Amino acid sequence: MTAMKRNHALIALIVIMMFTMLVTSCGGQNNNQPNNQGGQGNEGTTPTTAGTFLDKANNGEYKGKKVTMFGPFTDADEVKFNESVKAFEEKTGIDIAYEGSKEFEATIAVRVGGGNAPDIADFPQPGLLKGFVKDGKAVDVKTFLTDDYLKKQYNDSWLKMATMPGKTGDVMGGIWARSSVKSLVWYNKKAFTEAGYEVPNTWDELLKLTEQIAKDGDPAWSIGIESGAATGWPATDWVEDIMLRTTTPENYDKWVAGELPFTDPIVKNAVEKMSEIWFNNEYVYGGRKSIATTPFGDSVKPLFDNPPKAWLHRMGGFITSFFPEGVTADDYDWFPLPPIEAKYGQPALISGDIYAMFNDRPEVRAVMQYFTTGDSLKTWIQSGGVTAPMNDVDLSTYPNDQERRMAEFLKTATTIRFDGSDTMPGSVGSGTFWKGMTDYVSGTVQLDKALSEIQTGWKK
Amino acid sequence: MRKTKLRKSKWLVNTVLAIICLVWFIPTLGLLISSFRPAADILQTGWWNIFPHREWMTVEDIQLPKDTDLRQPIQVNGKTFTDQQLRAGVDLDGERLIWENRRARLVNIQEKKWSVITRFTLQNYKTVLGGKSYPITMPDGSVKTERGSGMGRSFWNTVAVSVPATVIPILIASFAAYAFAWLRFPGRRTFFVVIVALLVVPLQVALIPILRDYTSLGLNGTYFGIWLAHAAFGLPLVTYFMYNSISQLPRDLFESAFMDGATNFTIFSRLILPLSVPALASISIFQFLWVWNDYLVSLIFLGSQPEVQVMSMKIANLVGSRGNDWHLLTAAAFVSMITPLAVFFALQKYFVRGLLGGSVKG
Repeated sequence: MTAMKRNHALIALIVIMMFTMLVTSCGGQNNNQPNNQGGQGNEGTTPTTAGTFLDKANNGEYKGKKVTMFGPFTDADEVKFNESVKAFEEKTGIDIAYEGSKEFEATIAVRVGGGNAPDIADFPQPGLLKGFVKDGKAVDVKTFLTDDYLKKQYNDSWLKMATMPGKTGDVMGGIWARSSVKSLVWYNKKAFTEAGYEVPNTWDELLKLTEQIAKDGDPAWSIGIESGAATGWPATDWVEDIMLRTTTPENYDKWVAGELPFTDPIVKNAVEKMSEIWFNNEYVYGGRKSIATTPFGDSVKPLFDNPPKAWLHRMGGFITSFFPEGVTADDYDWFPLPPIEAKYGQPALISGDIYAMFNDRPEVRAVMQYFTTGDSLKTWIQSGGVTAPMNDVDLSTYPNDQERRMAEFLKTATTIRFDGSDTMPGSVGSGTFWKGMTDYVSGTVQLDKALSEIQTGWKK
Repeated sequence: MRKTKLRKSKWLVNTVLAIICLVWFIPTLGLLISSFRPAADILQTGWWNIFPHREWMTVEDIQLPKDTDLRQPIQVNGKTFTDQQLRAGVDLDGERLIWENRRARLVNIQEKKWSVITRFTLQNYKTVLGGKSYPITMPDGSVKTERGSGMGRSFWNTVAVSVPATVIPILIASFAAYAFAWLRFPGRRTFFVVIVALLVVPLQVALIPILRDYTSLGLNGTYFGIWLAHAAFGLPLVTYFMYNSISQLPRDLFESAFMDGATNFTIFSRLILPLSVPALASISIFQFLWVWNDYLVSLIFLGSQPEVQVMSMKIANLVGSRGNDWHLLTAAAFVSMITPLAVFFALQKYFVRGLLGGSVKG
């Protein structure tokens, strides 16, 4: 009898389940706009400056439309992004639905392949975008933005970096929406001044300072390259920075394009310059053996111990989010990684996010154009952690002196080059380059072997 | 004689089991302890330091002359050491000499003493459940604190995904298993072999084709879509599992039911389902755990829009764009573990209770 009752209850439960399923599945429908995929989409629209899509959006023509975005920033960056576009959304009535994923790099290819491309995708690696542009999946932004307008908003070097080979000739694969300067050496301002050290202006002075700090009893540098599956990337940044300082920008471009092999003496020389500091156990906190096992985000922390256990840390502007709690803008400062050979001046290594468009609709064009303006970044800049690539951002927007100087540094640098490992194809840039450097630093292989191993990535 | 042999082998099995349990348990314990420790502490000391242990403690400082050359042998209290030795620490009958601060030329004399760490915090759990807070500077210069979302929303999203994604495949698979086991129809064997063969097809190969279909059907990012996906990916194993259990039931039972005029549906709902509760419970646990912990399928078909984002994705995003908040993972892991544990313990008794025993006797 009781068993029978239980059966009834079981069946009733199943029936209820199925009903709820049906009901909720109808409610959970997301709106999936039809997307004209393949995306050349020049529907006879000629680029004009008067009455641009952005102007139309500001007039409320696209009210109620939704533009989907997909990108790698999550957490704090996601909140900052949403905050900075809020004013635009309220003004125009366009809803920018941002979706952030830690697995952006892996997912975007599946999404585009599966016909589920977002309207706009945010690529931190132009190298990854190149593939989509080549297949004609991404829309050429020049179909709706004029040369004059783009030249007004961006410096030439930015525009050049956004130009990529498309299906038929070179196209502008996307627009630069935010950037971050990488050639920065961070230090603990108070301790540095108290110890009487001075900011070095040349590589020799930097080495002298390193030696001085070692004599005083501390390792100068704190270096860590562990980063999970991406272990090794901080080492590639060092090599790129030194490359820019020991050879011509043309050689750097060739190297990034794969025309100058890793086994070339120029590259070898750069890595050796790095090793002079890295492999001297008196210069590095924890010694050479700890470099490959220290998480990059933790490696900056010894600078702010009391007394500091290390003094210098070379890393991009974003590292401030890794500083220990309670460290304010008064406690730290940075200087540019000094020039090695005077004739190459003071170069800047940068990274940044390029926004590419996959679905060509008027409201998406309007949003893309909005992202070329400084307004789209304003709140983000004020909250810290980002440098604007576009020209129409006032320096007073930056929250503190350190970030303002980064923007100035970008404007005054002799050469600006994008992070090479992010521009190389994935098999090298985020494959053998990371791995080869890690092997070399941890001492598993000798330099020549490591470099030829990295080079094999090009053949894949 | 035989008894002692048996006892011996039992003892061996138990020891092996105990070791395996320990190997699994210790890291989990470490994770649990770490989830209650402040992030800075986790970096400094291992979790086992919360137990009483003997540690080097400074009893005296020795100030060396400021101009001591670190690259020459160094005199401390009349004895000579090298810098290397002082970095690693030199043992002198129970005491240890080690640099406190090389820059200040300060050497510590340390002794081993009992110590224990008692700094614990609930902050990790608070952040994980309540969301982080982000200071945002507004255009007018004022600073506003934006509160991120905690795990509450994604918890319910995960429930909404997991429960139907467990029930649907098991329901369908039980029907199918009954048919494969007790009904005679043409092509029965072939179909069954095909289903078993599907077990070895990795689900990754189906991602892009299914995504294309979903896009054209508008199923992307919907709960219904992900239920279908999970159900389809889970069906081969569940069918096979249920078949094994249902085909073992005694034939006499069904024959007598048929005699009494029962239809197939009656037999299935009145006899098969109650009799295979242990099997249903165990495969439910498997399927539920798989769906609950799934990352890949929801990443592709559900995405991470906040209204549908499941917990595994939320947790991955918690660490921040550059992994700066890794310490939250400890607490998040335990929060996400609670439900599977509850499900496991709720269904566990069915493993033990064999319903079949005595059922034939009537």
